[in-house]
Amino acid sequence: MSDPVLSVRDLHVRFGSKRGVAHVVRGVSYDLHAGETLALVGESGSGKSVSTLALTKLIPMPPGRIDGEVHFGGRELVAMSEAELRSIRGNDIGFVFQDPMTSLNPVHPIGRQLTEGMRHHLGLSASAARDRAVELLSLVGIPDAANRLDAYPHQFSGGMRQRVVIAIGLSCEPKVLIADEATTALDVTTQAQIVDLVERLQEELGLAVVWITHDLGVVAGIADRVMVMYAGEIVEEADVDDLYGSPRHPYTVGLLGSLPVLGADEPGELTTIHGLPPDPTAMPPGCAFHPRCEFRDDDRCRDEHPPLRDADDAGDGHRVRSFYEVPADVREAASTSSQVAEAPPNAGDPLPAEASEGDR
Amino acid sequence: MSAVTNATDPGAAGSGRDDVLVDVQDLQVHFPVHGNGVLRRRVGSVKAVDGVSFQVRRGETLGLVGESGCGKTTTGLALLRLVEPTGGRVVFDGTDVGSLGRGELRSLRRRMAMIFQDPYASLDPRMSIGASVEEALRIHGLHGDRRDQRVAELLETVGLNPDYASRYPHEFSGGQRQRVGIARALAVEPDFIVCDEPIAALDVSIQAQVMNLLRELQRELDLTYLFIAHDLAAVQHISDRIAVMYLGRIVEVADRRAVYDEPSHPYTRALLSAIPVPHPGRERGRQRILLHGELPTPQDPPSGCNFRTRCPEVFEPCDRVDPTLQACTGEEHRCACHLYGVEGVEVEPSHHPDARGVAGRP
Repeated sequence: MSDPVLSVRDLHVRFGSKRGVAHVVRGVSYDLHAGETLALVGESGSGKSVSTLALTKLIPMPPGRIDGEVHFGGRELVAMSEAELRSIRGNDIGFVFQDPMTSLNPVHPIGRQLTEGMRHHLGLSASAARDRAVELLSLVGIPDAANRLDAYPHQFSGGMRQRVVIAIGLSCEPKVLIADEATTALDVTTQAQIVDLVERLQEELGLAVVWITHDLGVVAGIADRVMVMYAGEIVEEADVDDLYGSPRHPYTVGLLGSLPVLGADEPGELTTIHGLPPDPTAMPPGCAFHPRCEFRDDDRCRDEHPPLRDADDAGDGHRVRSFYEVPADVREAASTSSQVAEAPPNAGDPLPAEASEGDR
Repeated sequence: MSAVTNATDPGAAGSGRDDVLVDVQDLQVHFPVHGNGVLRRRVGSVKAVDGVSFQVRRGETLGLVGESGCGKTTTGLALLRLVEPTGGRVVFDGTDVGSLGRGELRSLRRRMAMIFQDPYASLDPRMSIGASVEEALRIHGLHGDRRDQRVAELLETVGLNPDYASRYPHEFSGGQRQRVGIARALAVEPDFIVCDEPIAALDVSIQAQVMNLLRELQRELDLTYLFIAHDLAAVQHISDRIAVMYLGRIVEVADRRAVYDEPSHPYTRALLSAIPVPHPGRERGRQRILLHGELPTPQDPPSGCNFRTRCPEVFEPCDRVDPTLQACTGEEHRCACHLYGVEGVEVEPSHHPDARGVAGRP
């Protein structure tokens, strides 16, 4: 495989707070290759957003502190100065955030927000940047782009605003796009349009994408590889098929089991994970998940921190941070392949011919 | 029970009359829009709910699903008269809710409760959770001498430690707060609960806890739910029947299986095809029906079928006949679409800027 475009090694993020130091990202390492989509999943507070914001030091410091290494394009970002980082943010690494209403400035027309980065990073003239902005807006599917450049964010619907934000994220032709809950605020039909768009752009531009979400449905459709985060750590990492087909970490098993499955015959009880995630200012010394874990065999994980180990001998990079094995039958039950019912018979096909005549 | 047996039993719809707890007939909620002039004259209205009819049967969960702005929350609020309907009728257990005076309405609200989406916003941060739950008892003058005991019982019912009664909302997680919201709704011992996006603000593993709790309470306390959500997988999990809303109207209503197995309205089909399923193989192979264009404004909905501006199946009658819900795959499976026979009210066709040509049918 080619060299990774982005390589993260032992990344830690700590925040000083009144209640002590909150250790919110605890030793995250991964490689991202060109054209690849890496999904980062986890529940609120698991550190998935902070771990990506920290890549280009987009967190307030102090109270934040970042340790570790981030290699990008032959350079190391954590030790880099603000000025140098500014030439990378929005340029080589593009961002799309969750809420387009807060990531767009309400008092400037979108054209200005879209051209700002291109003029600064690419040194384009005002008119060249404007031409390119029209191109980008058309690319992301905004009709009548030339006339919409002078419109303000409030004049767009949520889906259209998110397209604008994506256009901004892509404006400087980044090598890496970080999409942080980019579709979470949108309706499913709009989400489908955006996911479709990002996949198409990825094919066309060879972009590497880090897709952060808590929606395991979206991940199944978009990701090549998945990392599951819990309490600031990667607890499981696998190719998307392996993760859904044979989850190994007790947390992943619980998470997949807790999803209601569309089209299930007789809905039974959903699996739940009892308890709450640990307080980031008081992490347990051993496994962060151990107070909620149903599959621990002994007290070893209470004091000893499990390393991220290979889940099996397959050598496929399926790794898990647990001393224990979840019993095969439990994993089987949680694996979504066993739960997802038959595809809806006709959702993707044209309407049946007899339907137009009615069959009453 | 399968959709098919339901459908082939002609008595199913008729014999159930007494089983109907909530009967909603042609409900309308139009909000006035005022101009900018000095007189602030009324210049139009937002048709948030525009002629919605459905029935909720005793002991069942009816799911109401649709995207933001479709009017599902307003429908829920209008059932309890938390917003005043501007037309139509809501009959609760034989009583016309619209005809009640203030006092009567209050006593009826003992039988109908609501659970809101945002447990952060629906609890008063300055009141202990025990006081929040007790407030509901006090307002209705229930359990005068043993309210503390009743509060403890309620907290226990929703899986919270009764000792937490003196704590404040900020001390709880989102899921726990939603449990408090549920305890508050249960305080009046209602028959019917409108659950408005009760899980949308919660993490997935917590969503599962709340859904399990709601189902368990329904079994134990014989409750009837209207479960409003945008997440069709969750709605399908918890509901017996499902109504799909689009732009202020119900476009399809059917048994929970039938909505999935035989989605009949083009909007339902698009919605179903857009929902990501946690299964990589299925996701890769899937054909999405991408809807084009934007949701029209409810201030000026398209004439006739209001989905016609985005519908891949649009054909001749769609702009001039306002479709009514009609049986499609069976008597219990109803759908407002001319594909199943042109039925409805003739209207004056209006030009709509986003309208696709009538030849748009592939």
